[in-house]
Amino acid sequence: MSARFEFRGLVAGYGGTTILRGIAGAVAAGEVLFVLGRNGVGKSTLMKALMGFLPCREGAVRLDGREIGGLAPPERRRAGITYCPQERAVFDELSVADNLFLTAPPGAAARLAPLAERFPILARRREQRAGTLSGGEKKILSFVRGAIEDHSLVLLDEPTEGVQAENIERMEAVVREQCAAGTAFVVVEQNLAMAERLADRWLVLDKGQVVAEGSGRPERAAIIAHIQV
Amino acid sequence: MDPLVTTQFLNIAFGIATLAVLALGLAIVFGLLGVLNIAHGELVMAGAYAAWIVQSAGLPYALAVPLAMLACGLLGWLIEAGLIRPLYARPFDTLLATWGLSLLLRKTAEAIWGLGYKSVALPLPGTVDVLGAAYPRYRLMLIVLCLAGVAALAAWFAKSGAGTRIKAMVANPDLAQAVGIRTGRLARNAFVAGCALAGLGGVMVAPLTPVHPFMGIDYILESFFVLVVGGLGSVAGLVAGAGIIGGLGSLVSAVADRTAGYTAVLVIAILFLWLRPRGLLARA
Repeated sequence: MSARFEFRGLVAGYGGTTILRGIAGAVAAGEVLFVLGRNGVGKSTLMKALMGFLPCREGAVRLDGREIGGLAPPERRRAGITYCPQERAVFDELSVADNLFLTAPPGAAARLAPLAERFPILARRREQRAGTLSGGEKKILSFVRGAIEDHSLVLLDEPTEGVQAENIERMEAVVREQCAAGTAFVVVEQNLAMAERLADRWLVLDKGQVVAEGSGRPERAAIIAHIQV
Repeated sequence: MDPLVTTQFLNIAFGIATLAVLALGLAIVFGLLGVLNIAHGELVMAGAYAAWIVQSAGLPYALAVPLAMLACGLLGWLIEAGLIRPLYARPFDTLLATWGLSLLLRKTAEAIWGLGYKSVALPLPGTVDVLGAAYPRYRLMLIVLCLAGVAALAAWFAKSGAGTRIKAMVANPDLAQAVGIRTGRLARNAFVAGCALAGLGGVMVAPLTPVHPFMGIDYILESFFVLVVGGLGSVAGLVAGAGIIGGLGSLVSAVADRTAGYTAVLVIAILFLWLRPRGLLARA
């Protein structure tokens, strides 16, 4: 595989505590890498480290062959990474439209049109403050904001938390379409069923390390063995 | 209307309008960015000295506006780089460091210009007839310019991309960075703008008040009261706070005397801190 995005030997943590203890992974253009594991094993920390919120004490992060491990988050966004965080995923005080277009690249409005048909809530609530949306609606807004950035890599942290089943299906359809166009995804998800439908690669974290990994759709039994204590 | 009543109304409007502009810089620096810059009042003082310097040199008074804003903006840039950023997220240390800076700035002004009061002549002398009352031309001009300036800034903050990016940064700094906003640079620019506005405030009030090294203290106290009463982070709060503090101060001063005016302002600020600590119109 020629990797669009790869990370090797990542060691990172907060203050004196080490949370990531040498994590490696890779994803090619048009692929989805799922990061699985129980709560508190370092999945969100990994995503924050990949976006540059957490400096890595060791390790390398490469996007399209370029070392980006030293870049701050705004510069990683400019390098072509979209990040949809697990918590506080939207700007509550801004309107839905401002959330979508605040720093959107050219062409975002055209890319929004088909997405707005899939997620009509966004058009209906366009001028409302995003803080008035439900948790699941905020996740949809965050996902769509990421989708219209049209970047080479998208990091999704728990994108389906609180999202209704039919909207999860629509999200999956968008991921598939963007993969077909060459975008790579790294997805942290509790929802194993989504991984079973979408994953091209997967890895399971435990205590800040990769304890299992594979390519293709993961087998539920193999994953559950690692996820359950 | 009785000319005396008209004059008092205009005085109240003047108190509110100038206070709104004086508190504006602090509303950006403290209200939006959360930076406790105790030396903010000394920037007002520096702006007032800039006005005195320009006038003493025989130059047109309007030149004091860019000079004061540039000088205070530059000071702000240095303060941000030297004190604020290294002490990021350490509010008590920031307070101590900027308090030390305020002493330094006062003593520097004292060393250069001495303790004596400097007086700045009115750049726009004479009076205008307003509904039968002869009102000072300069004060009337300030009322109009201050209200227009605050309204323009409010519109810019509500509509412009930069205003929206500032709101995004204040509301959710991590997400702002994730969508590409260079928050460090944006916060620095906003801080510098707030300091430049303090300099502008100094130029505005210089002809109406004695210019001396300790004048900043009064302004920063009143500006803090405006933010306490109005609440942080919204232009509506700033205007409401300036309306109550400036209006009450001017009204009580007119009916009784200056001391009663200060007392009324202090009492209302304490009541707000006690009963409604987030102010009238705090950001959600």
